[in-house]
Amino acid sequence: MDNAIYTMLTRQSGLMREFSTVANNVANMGTTGFKAEHGVFTEFISRLENGSAAGLGGDSLSMGRLGAHATDFSDGGLKSTGGALDMAISGDGFFQVQTNAGPRLTRAGHFMLNADRVLVDPQGNAVMGAGGGEIAIPLEAANIQVGLDGTISSDGIEYGRIGVVTAAPDTLVREGGNLWNAPNTRPLEEAKIVSGFLEQSNVNPVLEMARMIEVQRHYDAGQSLMDLEDDRIRSVAQTVRQMS
Amino acid sequence: MNALKIAATGMAAQQMRVDVISNNIANMSTTAYQPRVAEFADLIYQQYQTPGTLSSQTGSTVPAGIQIGMGVRPTTVSMEIVQGALSQTGGDLDLAIEGRGFFEIIQPNGESAFTRDGKFYRDAEGLMVNSDGHALADQITIPNDTNRLTISQDGEVVAYFDNATAGQTIGTLTLNVFANTKGLEALGGNLYRETEASGAPINGAAGTEGIGVMRQGYLEDSGVDVVEEISELIEAQRGYELNSKIITAADEMLAATTRIR
Repeated sequence: MDNAIYTMLTRQSGLMREFSTVANNVANMGTTGFKAEHGVFTEFISRLENGSAAGLGGDSLSMGRLGAHATDFSDGGLKSTGGALDMAISGDGFFQVQTNAGPRLTRAGHFMLNADRVLVDPQGNAVMGAGGGEIAIPLEAANIQVGLDGTISSDGIEYGRIGVVTAAPDTLVREGGNLWNAPNTRPLEEAKIVSGFLEQSNVNPVLEMARMIEVQRHYDAGQSLMDLEDDRIRSVAQTVRQMS
Repeated sequence: MNALKIAATGMAAQQMRVDVISNNIANMSTTAYQPRVAEFADLIYQQYQTPGTLSSQTGSTVPAGIQIGMGVRPTTVSMEIVQGALSQTGGDLDLAIEGRGFFEIIQPNGESAFTRDGKFYRDAEGLMVNSDGHALADQITIPNDTNRLTISQDGEVVAYFDNATAGQTIGTLTLNVFANTKGLEALGGNLYRETEASGAPINGAAGTEGIGVMRQGYLEDSGVDVVEEISELIEAQRGYELNSKIITAADEMLAATTRIR
């Protein structure tokens, strides 16, 4: 195969993945605390095997490929739910939940109490307090309130404080289920927790539609370029045949 | 192609949201109905390139990596525990609960069920029953010659007979609370059943802290906020449309791919 085809293929497969990312953003339009992702294309330079010494040019092939994913960490809109244990973080930070695989971060603050009256997420993972432990609320606590700093209280009695942590964005690995994994986290003291609200997905539908069309058009363009390249090779073959 | 499957999960999610919303709207006049809310979470991610690994080209650490999500899945359809507004009915056996409590009902199969629907009746034997004829677990029998009946905030049922000015206590209604009310299993007919997640019912006298009090002559309205539901419905519909657009676009891209010679 020819180099032009290789170059196109890396781009086409990158576009396919980018399209999957758009699809995933749109699918998660209604997911609490979801953060949209965008692909970043980078130039990938491959040295050709039969190339001469470096620096002379003409011996390397430049390809555009999907190099990285950038996550949009901007805040999603807040939706009022009225649920006393629904919480949203305004600004920086993540809630921390204890899963079987260890602590994980989440922005989805749709919390509830389990049969042991421990604060958990919808998947049953315990929400970690500022000190790292679970938060249990006894049955007699009738009017549960969550303060701006995450303190959970009822009728003046404090039952615990929700821990909010932060981590470098480049270390966050998405795990699905609204969870993120980060090796190094540090507590965030100045976090602002808004109770009675949930953070909506920060997916911007207009932007996603525009990107969808863009990816689709680029893909089409790539395809027609490949057709042209195919025609070129054909005509070369034909010419060679006629000459011989 | 992944995008087709991803968009399909998105459509299924929005469809489920519409189902939940339509059930809420259908129950906008159901006594003591608790609206349901569907919650979603992203599916697993395919890690093409984990953030923080070394780049093969330059040996430096990649800042973001490539993680492609596989769509969305529903996590919970949970009850929003809201106190519905109270409507005055004037019925002697109409009871609204102000607080977190539930009445206990004995189903025909002998199992307990719980309800906040306080519309009760008196059956042929004088037993206090719910709209479906199931008896209350507290087994209140109202004598035939009862003239008037009062039920106090604490659940004390007092019957007044002909010519008597003083009433006679014929029983006490109790309420039940659950450690995790959202964990109850809905049975339909305004009834709920305890589950492992909800914990066992904790029976107590009305008026005790956290359980709530009874209001005679009132019924609790449905907790559905129609305006909110309709705006949610529009949102779900638009989400469904956008996901179907993704499917169309993915299909066109696939068609372009198959056109290659």
